[in-house]
Amino acid sequence: MVTFKIERFNPDVDKAPYFQTYEVAAGKEMSVLEALFYVVENLDGSLAFRYSCRGAVCGSCAMRINGKNRLACQTLLKKLKSPVITVSPLPHLPIVKDLIVDMDHFFKNYEKIKPYLVNNTSAPEKERRQSILERAKIDEMIACILCGACFSACTVAATDKKFIGPAALTKAYRFWADSRDNLGDERLALVAGEHGALRCHTLFNCAEACPKNIVPTYSIQQLKGGLVKCRFSKPAK
Amino acid sequence: MFDNLKKESVIAYQSGIGMWAFVLHRITGLSLIFYLLLHIVVISTSLKGPQPFNNLLAVLTAPPFVVADLALLAAILFHGLNGARIVIFDTGIGIRQQKLIFWLLLLPAVIIWIMTLYFTLPHIFR
Repeated sequence: MVTFKIERFNPDVDKAPYFQTYEVAAGKEMSVLEALFYVVENLDGSLAFRYSCRGAVCGSCAMRINGKNRLACQTLLKKLKSPVITVSPLPHLPIVKDLIVDMDHFFKNYEKIKPYLVNNTSAPEKERRQSILERAKIDEMIACILCGACFSACTVAATDKKFIGPAALTKAYRFWADSRDNLGDERLALVAGEHGALRCHTLFNCAEACPKNIVPTYSIQQLKGGLVKCRFSKPAK
Repeated sequence: MFDNLKKESVIAYQSGIGMWAFVLHRITGLSLIFYLLLHIVVISTSLKGPQPFNNLLAVLTAPPFVVADLALLAAILFHGLNGARIVIFDTGIGIRQQKLIFWLLLLPAVIIWIMTLYFTLPHIFR
């Protein structure tokens, strides 16, 4: 038996979030998400949480487990090595219900950096080819599944509501560094200013949180460098 | 849209070295500004002539202030070396090795601090 302390909040009834304790009959290879299924099926059907793929691909089930932002589906109970497991929603985001947070703010920031490939040259007959080295530059950033674990862990994003955030900045770098994209330094203009890349204090909370082991700080520092160089040759926007 | 936002500490997610380095960097930075003001006040007593200045220095070299000096040195060493760490990251070097770089830079700080301890308070080593 593993004790689960799960944070509950129903905005229609409760004034503040509170913790509820459940005893889960844990299997040997059980993940936190499976434990949550167990709670819903056997103990309390009113528990709300978000999930979809169950395989660490969709990024829906990011939540705070034992003090760290993780994906519930890829966190095994035996890896946590703890008799009591505390589960709460992602911090610093508005709670919709129980473990579900409002990701609106996160995705609005994501839209700001134009998260799509822009190439207005005429399409070649076959694909736009990349060399292995060109692809290797953006390999790490492509793994991002937009779960919001880094954004929620970022102290700067928590204190500055206009900060674009680590996930969006990682994507900004991913497209800026992509050899097929030709928006060029216009992308830097999108992340310029006091709420852009330069706001990052290199706290590495994002890197600590990322379930895909991406280091968003690396991308953000590249963008900072680009912004500085851009200012020296031609002003961005 | 932030109506349901829970009130919680902004440094709640402080499990990593990077976060602690940042918090300590801020604290030591602020205490160094405070020290600088104090330093100007102490030095400015020399405007009143040598006697008041020497009297004040006699007080400030007493044992409790030696401990304060050691704390000051620790703050300077941490702030300076962590500052170097941040500059290294701004040049794009070693971002993925941030934890290792933190400990590597803490090493000379600890060595210099213990050496200073040996020269200022030698009797605690005997």
